[in-house]
Amino acid sequence: MNRIRKFFQFENIGYLYVLPALLYMMYFVGYPIIRNIVLSLQNVTVKTLNAPVKELIGLNNYLELFRDKIMINSLINTLVFTVACLIVQFMIGFALALFLSRKFASAKMVRGLLMIPWMIPITVTALIFKFIFSTNVGILNQSLMLLKLISAPVDWLTSPGTAMFALVFANIWIGIPFNMILLSTGLTIIPTELYESASIDGANRIQSFFRITLPLLKPTIESVLVLGFIYTFKVFDLVYVMTGGGPVNSTHMLSTYAYKLSFGIFQYSKGAAVANIMFVVLLIVSLFYLKLTYEEEEA
Amino acid sequence: MSDKEIQGKKNWFLSILSLFVMVLLLFPLYWIFVTSLKAEKEIFQIPPTLFPTQLNLDSYGAQLKNGDFNMFRSFYNSLIISVGSMMISVVLAVPASYGLARYRFKGRKLCTLGFLITQMLPVSVILTPMFIIFRDMRLLNNPLSAILADATIGIPFSVLILKNYFVSMPRELEEAAYIDGCNRFTAFIKILVPIAYPGVIVCGVFSFLYAWGDLAYGMTFIQNQSDRPITAGIFNFMGQYGTKWSYLTAFAVVTIIPVALVFIFMQKYIISGLTSGAVKG
Repeated sequence: MNRIRKFFQFENIGYLYVLPALLYMMYFVGYPIIRNIVLSLQNVTVKTLNAPVKELIGLNNYLELFRDKIMINSLINTLVFTVACLIVQFMIGFALALFLSRKFASAKMVRGLLMIPWMIPITVTALIFKFIFSTNVGILNQSLMLLKLISAPVDWLTSPGTAMFALVFANIWIGIPFNMILLSTGLTIIPTELYESASIDGANRIQSFFRITLPLLKPTIESVLVLGFIYTFKVFDLVYVMTGGGPVNSTHMLSTYAYKLSFGIFQYSKGAAVANIMFVVLLIVSLFYLKLTYEEEEA
Repeated sequence: MSDKEIQGKKNWFLSILSLFVMVLLLFPLYWIFVTSLKAEKEIFQIPPTLFPTQLNLDSYGAQLKNGDFNMFRSFYNSLIISVGSMMISVVLAVPASYGLARYRFKGRKLCTLGFLITQMLPVSVILTPMFIIFRDMRLLNNPLSAILADATIGIPFSVLILKNYFVSMPRELEEAAYIDGCNRFTAFIKILVPIAYPGVIVCGVFSFLYAWGDLAYGMTFIQNQSDRPITAGIFNFMGQYGTKWSYLTAFAVVTIIPVALVFIFMQKYIISGLTSGAVKG
């Protein structure tokens, strides 16, 4: 008892504060991560879920997945989806951040209201865009028909190429506010004197942008892109609700395919293996990001 | 980019331009709102109407009457789940963030790193093992499963946000409290937590919103239709009444209500939470 008391003196008292949250996270996140790795090395299906001893089959699940066409397709989809969303949402978000950082009457209000798409549940966003892109009642088809740009309604969500486009479109709508607000905050940190002295020296706006704004905003831009990659790569709700991975598995992402394997056809181990592949990618990116921010803090 | 406020004609021009951009970007929200107020027949009308020609509140009323799917029931389920998960997150994150900010014990950096990484974790990785854990604990179909799972999103976020608040507080505050007869623990509860309350609110708001928006946990752990949260409810409803857009949009509008309230009353907390949470990590 005395020894325990001695241990928790001075700085070590910190453990007592951190311990409850730490144990909680270890039990509900740390332990499942390990369980998931073990699960991916077994062959657990709905039949063997209750078996007391589960056979280890090594890396078979992973090897099979890399021969699985839907898996390869999901991997490509996830990457294409992530990169397409990142580029467009970053450009629009950056443009809006620059525009709304100017001091005119409605700037602050508009910036605040534009946050709403980021806050609403993604399931709702998916419903909204399912409605907008719907073949018969969708306002997109209705407007395009009125403008005589198309002669017959387009099956946006039920043909492979356009379904992917619709998903990217919807996700960009969620991503714009995120990019805008982070870049706006980055812009406020740049001292205004820099722009003033640049303009005295005869620099025009474009020169100021490339010589002052961009270099000073570099750390923010890096975080926005890396965090954007992580959040977009994890996409689940949006795809699950809007297309469910269809038509004919053409819009499956790694997350939705993992879900389908585990809870659609009860191949728990295979689903776990897909999830682990995602985990490895995100872990590498996260560690890269942490190294990046850490170095900047040190510098 | 300059400190001076823009005035005159230019101010008007930029303001009108910004309102135009806003209308364009927020149109989807307006669109589901007016659709929920239209009669089913009007929704199919071409050209589409920008305002309901006849106000129709049946889509909301029908939800109260129909027994087979009650959105107010799932609204209530979501409320229980979100408030529960918010409380767990705040209660655990407040002391943890203080401990990490104030005491230099061994492994403190590793702890922070752990919280950071869990924030980036895809749900898919822990979903199946959690399902098995909750099955073994006999918690499936119990709102507690979703509450416990959702808190794993709120806790790391809250710890990292609040840590910044506690780091920025001067140590003299605590020392003054000791002189006034507080011990370490009462100083923390009585003096520091009240000062950090804007941070605590940010954490509460975000933990609530994360849980409110969750679909994967709620629909996987809770299979009984009547116990499911509202997001899973919408998803089911879409499967059953896929083309009944007046009902579906009404459902969506009801789901947005708490988010809208949070937005109206706590906007400044949200923006500060998002920026400090994401940029500083």
